[in-house]
Amino acid sequence: MTIRNALRDHGQRYRPRMACLKKAEKVLLEMQDPCTGVKSQPQRLVITIIPHAITGEDIIAWLADRFQIDAQEARSFGSMLVALGYIYPLQDHKRLVIKPDTSLYRFQTPYFWPTQQWPVEDTDYAIYLAKRNIRKKGILELHEQEQYNHLHKWMNHKWDFVVMQAKEQYRAAKERKKPDRVVFDCQERAYWVVHRPPPGTVSAMDYGLDRRTDPNTDETQTPDYYERIMIFTQQSIMRPRVKSSVSIGALVKYSATYSGHDPFLSKCLPSNPWLTDDTTYWTLNMSNVEIPTKMRVERWTFSFKELLSDPRGRDDFRLFLKKEFSGENLAFWEGCEDLKWGTAVAMREKAEQIYKTFLARGAPRWINIDGKTMEITVKGLKHPHRYVLDAAQTHIYMLMKKDSYGRYLKSPVFKETLKKAICPEEHKFNEVQLEQNARNRRPSLSPIIIRQQEQEQRAKMAANAPVDITQVMSKLSKQGKEMGPHHSK
Amino acid sequence: MGKEECKTMLDALNKVTACYRHLVIALGSTSDSQNLREELKKTRKKAQELAVANRTKLTTLLKDKTISKEDRAEYERLWVLFSSSMELLEVDMKRSLEIGQDFPLKVPTRHLIQTGMTGSTNAVAARAMSVQNMKYEADSNIDTVDLRDLQTEITQVSQMMEEMEMKVQVAPWAVVAKQEAGAELKSNMSVGNSSVGVISICEEDLFLVSIQGFLAVLNVKTLQLVN
Repeated sequence: MTIRNALRDHGQRYRPRMACLKKAEKVLLEMQDPCTGVKSQPQRLVITIIPHAITGEDIIAWLADRFQIDAQEARSFGSMLVALGYIYPLQDHKRLVIKPDTSLYRFQTPYFWPTQQWPVEDTDYAIYLAKRNIRKKGILELHEQEQYNHLHKWMNHKWDFVVMQAKEQYRAAKERKKPDRVVFDCQERAYWVVHRPPPGTVSAMDYGLDRRTDPNTDETQTPDYYERIMIFTQQSIMRPRVKSSVSIGALVKYSATYSGHDPFLSKCLPSNPWLTDDTTYWTLNMSNVEIPTKMRVERWTFSFKELLSDPRGRDDFRLFLKKEFSGENLAFWEGCEDLKWGTAVAMREKAEQIYKTFLARGAPRWINIDGKTMEITVKGLKHPHRYVLDAAQTHIYMLMKKDSYGRYLKSPVFKETLKKAICPEEHKFNEVQLEQNARNRRPSLSPIIIRQQEQEQRAKMAANAPVDITQVMSKLSKQGKEMGPHHSK
Repeated sequence: MGKEECKTMLDALNKVTACYRHLVIALGSTSDSQNLREELKKTRKKAQELAVANRTKLTTLLKDKTISKEDRAEYERLWVLFSSSMELLEVDMKRSLEIGQDFPLKVPTRHLIQTGMTGSTNAVAARAMSVQNMKYEADSNIDTVDLRDLQTEITQVSQMMEEMEMKVQVAPWAVVAKQEAGAELKSNMSVGNSSVGVISICEEDLFLVSIQGFLAVLNVKTLQLVN
């Protein structure tokens, strides 16, 4: 037995999100009805006539009529069917879209329908490429040639079989009549355009990793299966309960607060980059931007968590705390986060640093936590681990939330930011501009570069760390003593 | 010589597998018919006979401890050919069961997919069965009856493949292929005849003009591709 598809087969097959396949098949079958289905016409190619060609506009009209939707949606639906591989275009075969004009399409045979049960085998692809090599007399397209060489290298042990099968399949295909031969070539080519897309093609079958088990099959009733059911029910009994009126009320409140900020439910200003290919929205909302948008500032007022999780919001809060001389709280909280999420190698060092800076008696940026928490923390620091500062961090977080956050929202810093915040105008692109945007798409900054920038910024901030009030007072008093005798001048 | 026999039998199995695949591709489309179902059945039976014959032959050859190293390597290569053919056959049989169940022929509300293929497949089946003309003698309800037979046959084939794995210890990745890249072009196939009058399927394809002399030039090209 050979190892099937060792590279790509992880022994996992099923992905619920492909439930669209069964639904698409039903639609396909409805389209075949000679009375109520899509009208077909014969395709004329030089001397041969091949039946069952359908035009793009007919497909769209049929879909719009059957599902009572508008033309735009019918067009997207049709394009989806083409991208999945149920219908294939006869002209321009690499672009898997439906064109609302007289361009011709044809239905794909059930053997070549997309299905999750039968994974697309590299052996089949190798045989197809070999056949194509024969047909095109050695002149394959660039990506096909690359794939061919790659397969020849790693599937070398099967290569004799591939060549033999390719020749036999080629000969068997010649036994059919000319129109059927042409149709078969088109079908096979269309199948591989969907499942091994040429560079630049978007195929809808790219759905990521598969699940380990088919959610529709029945599981075998082993003792382990019943054990799991028992554990699950026991845990359900012990779960804390909340009245549905309370939980539903919370859901309603959340939805009402956030619905204006959700890009699916309401308009994204200036425009949703995924729809219009214009990245202004992203550049306006970057983490180190000077002037935030009004929507962003509004989000900071929803909860303290929102404020802290937005880097720009955190910067604003830090500025406010600096003016109030209580910046050590936020610095400590950030240090704890750094410890939690950082590498294990640097953990011990970081924990020591935090202790020296914030927790020790007489530390330069001493934070005010109650005695009990301090005791627990100091004891834990003898054997530091990732979550050793959790108790102290929670205490400081609640302190900031209950005290500083309220004052921040009423502070001049926040009011200033709110006043300066911009509200961008909505974009109104027409078709031509949209196409131009699509053509001018460029990749954004690499995440590696963004992370480097963040680290540089953090290092800069650590170098200019603001001193706390005790140091300032001691400095002032020192200055006063020095200047004392000459002060009267 | 055992090797020659094996090779001919494997070639036959290979041919039948290729033809079976062509027939299964036509299932469910407008070239589906009672005849096609019967052709599938006959091809399948032939494939199974060949498979069993191949298996017994190869197992006896591989179990023989007294053969030389080169012979053993050659038999392993033939074994890989055989098992790959069987894998293809098994998948095609399972798919034909699935599609056959989805597209029963007698139900008037169940329409066949209008794929543009309307011709019959009897020439392909004749090639598989190595006969001149196919004779059709089955009952009219073959599409439903055959499916039950098909299910039993699929289980038989799966069992056979499991047995094969157990009995014969062959490392498939250790086999070195004899054919190099582009070997399919250097065949004695008459690529010329079929492409006279090959029509462009879409505007992008170039019109292929087949000249026998081209093949010589392209043989050189494939040798370059091998590097």
